[in-house]
Amino acid sequence: MPPRPTLRSLSHTLKKPLSHTRPHSTSSSTSSNNSSVSADELTHFSSLASSWWDPQGPSRALHLMNPLRHDFIAGCLAEFDPITTTPSTPTPSASPHNNTLRYLDIGCGGGIFAESLARTIPGPGKSTRTTTAITNRTRTRAASITAIDPSPTLIKIARDHARMDPAVNAHLENGVFEYRNCSLEDLIATTFTSSSASSSSSFSSTPSPSPSPSPSPSPTSQTQSTPTDPRYDIVTLFEVIEHIDNIRGLSSPQTFLQNCLSMVRPGGWLIGSTIARTFPSWLVNQVIAEAPWPIGVVPRGTHEWAKFVNPGELEGWVHEGLVRVEEDGAVSRANAETGAEAGAGRWTPRAGGVRASCIFPVWAGGW
Amino acid sequence: MRPLSRTALRPYVCPSCQLGRLPVRRRFASHSPSSSNSSPPEIYDVVCVGGGPAGLGLLAALRASPATSKLKVALVETQDLAKARSWSLDSQQFSNRVSSLTPSSVSFLKKIGAWDYLDTARAQPYQEMQVWDGETGSRISFDWSMETSPFEDLRPVATMTENTNLVRALLSRIAASGDDNLSIFSNTTVSSITNGTESPNGPDLSAWPVLSISPTAAAAASSQPPTRIAARLLVGADGINSPVRRFADISTDGWDYNRHGIVATLSLADLDPVPFPLGTRTAYQRFLPSLGGPIALLPLPNNHATLVWSTTVENAAYLKSLSPKAFLAMVNAAFRLSMTDLQYMLRMDRPATVSDAEDPHENELAWRLEHTPQPPHLPPTVTGVQEGSVASFPLRFRHATSYVSPRVALVGDAAHVIHPLAGQGLNLGMGDVASLAETISYAVNHGMDVGDLLTLERYAGDRYATNAKIGGACDVLHKLYNVPGNGPVAWARSLGLEVIDRVPFVKGLLMKNAEG
Repeated sequence: MPPRPTLRSLSHTLKKPLSHTRPHSTSSSTSSNNSSVSADELTHFSSLASSWWDPQGPSRALHLMNPLRHDFIAGCLAEFDPITTTPSTPTPSASPHNNTLRYLDIGCGGGIFAESLARTIPGPGKSTRTTTAITNRTRTRAASITAIDPSPTLIKIARDHARMDPAVNAHLENGVFEYRNCSLEDLIATTFTSSSASSSSSFSSTPSPSPSPSPSPSPTSQTQSTPTDPRYDIVTLFEVIEHIDNIRGLSSPQTFLQNCLSMVRPGGWLIGSTIARTFPSWLVNQVIAEAPWPIGVVPRGTHEWAKFVNPGELEGWVHEGLVRVEEDGAVSRANAETGAEAGAGRWTPRAGGVRASCIFPVWAGGW
Repeated sequence: MRPLSRTALRPYVCPSCQLGRLPVRRRFASHSPSSSNSSPPEIYDVVCVGGGPAGLGLLAALRASPATSKLKVALVETQDLAKARSWSLDSQQFSNRVSSLTPSSVSFLKKIGAWDYLDTARAQPYQEMQVWDGETGSRISFDWSMETSPFEDLRPVATMTENTNLVRALLSRIAASGDDNLSIFSNTTVSSITNGTESPNGPDLSAWPVLSISPTAAAAASSQPPTRIAARLLVGADGINSPVRRFADISTDGWDYNRHGIVATLSLADLDPVPFPLGTRTAYQRFLPSLGGPIALLPLPNNHATLVWSTTVENAAYLKSLSPKAFLAMVNAAFRLSMTDLQYMLRMDRPATVSDAEDPHENELAWRLEHTPQPPHLPPTVTGVQEGSVASFPLRFRHATSYVSPRVALVGDAAHVIHPLAGQGLNLGMGDVASLAETISYAVNHGMDVGDLLTLERYAGDRYATNAKIGGACDVLHKLYNVPGNGPVAWARSLGLEVIDRVPFVKGLLMKNAEG
């Protein structure tokens, strides 16, 4: 078994990197040997980099699928609102808008989802208009997003593309949007260990009351080092899990999922999508999509059918992962509640009362 | 799974063409390009060039939808929009630029809240349309009676509205939305459109259109330097010679019909049998194959009507040169006399002096009417023509090869110009605008870049085939009804018309298609 991420202490590190511009570079990447990152996959996707944002290129399917991810997230938030159960952690910058959720996008690639989500973060200013609540917030209610990917090439592609949109570029500059070139394991390590000053409480479903004495949310309290939950309200994992190697003792989708869950704040969502290992998916993804030109749309070797994940497996891993994370004290009240349907694709385990909902991706976006 | 055939039918993506098209030089400049790259341009989400019904409709739709009302939008228009906003005319006078709005255009205008600002006393719905062939006499009538119970009012086929009235309503609607994030550059021309530049530390605007705009010569009291604005999405609503289309390097297919449309505002005699139910109004269109196109009389309030007569350039010049009396005689004749009679009357000598008493065209009409059997359902006699309202415009067919390019979308006449015989031109523009506004709203809600090709291809995919179909249908009708004489073509088209008129299913289908 790979060493489990141990959650040693509450840290308050997250505010710091977010308030500065691009603190991370490629240094910390790929060095860790217990990484979930497959070297083959890394090489393959880095070679796709130049065509990542080409609307007619091999990533066209991902581009067309992307709006559906927003719909899916909006659906999840409508089903269970993280805000109503537990007050959210303060956002890194005092947000005048009503978007409060902090996002982590794991395996962001060239940034197709991350950039689109960043676009839904309202711009700074406009704080004068204090018209209220729900009408003013966007569907995904994103206040910030951190996107990670182990490939330095792809992160560069993502950053370069983000610069082509002044609104997104502004988010990059003021820190609410951040690309980090690191693996999930690296992120966990930096998130949970870098703080030496450990604070008291362990995570629990009831939000740990902030030790800061002043209850008033004055703007200055944002800049002070108030210990906050460094974990995220929403962790997204789109089209990633099918690229995780399953090598006994080294890396498995199960441990990877468990790591993802450890980044979810209690009451938050882990939202993802993947491809099921079914006959249609073999036909479509292996035979048709990777066929030679002019039929095929993606290069050979993009997918490995054997790595595809079925809903039952996924559900098992999530339950297992939640139990283990709970053992680590990260998530209490992990009442595993089964709700699996036979289906492919989209699943939404929720930390703290997990429910895995699987939806058939009858995907018929305009090709 | 979606059928693979749709891939082949997709009109807007031919990957190889697309790739070939993207890196072309994008530049439009009517003057020398200004090299004032010193200050960064002001950035807008949507910049619309052209303040006609399409451009204003888009702006009003964006302002009306909650998702898009916070977008930073700009409109650039050469004309004085303040003048258009304060337009007013006596209730017995009508502008000669009148459009028929289909029910779907009307419901779009209602949806965006512009209809409330329209002076509906100046708009005239009509419930019935009579169309007949001047050569063979075969006839078709359109109304919604087959779908209406006897106790309901007939649904209008379309509503006649002056373009000025519509523009004023849209401007009022936009003004009512407040001026947050809204810039209207009236009396302003686009002097150049270029791609932006990459600033070393800031955003990279090298794929963004940047417009240099300056006040028109008429309005330039002070010669201020041109303003530069960058557009996330540049919308070309700038008409048939669209500068935006030239910037995007999109070509058009099409031809000139070598015909002119004559318009005029006319007043009518009272209709002899009072229409039942009261207030039912009828539009009339008679195809005149030997004269180059149809003549149409479309109702306006207070017993007025607007004329659209598509005919050859020579006939148009002749008609425009006639005295009002003779012009009226020709209009009445065109709905009543045979092709041979009309051709004769269009070659009559014009009297050197206009005499009040006797007009040769009037006399000729009166004499010839005595010898021509008259069909039922004739339009009321035209009795007066509003002074200065007779005008003409060339008829053309144009269709842009693409409606979109990265950060550019074309709407209305910039994308397509069609024959006016079905009164669909403005309605296609409204359909474009409704679709584009919908697309932008979807994009905003899903974190898409509104100028991205992936966003815009939704719009193009929605509209291209529809517009091609309607434009093509009008073109076919024009050609079919330009074959003179009683040959096989005339026989076949008359048979077709009779069949359509008698088979409710086909007619209903046709009307639903025309309705949009």
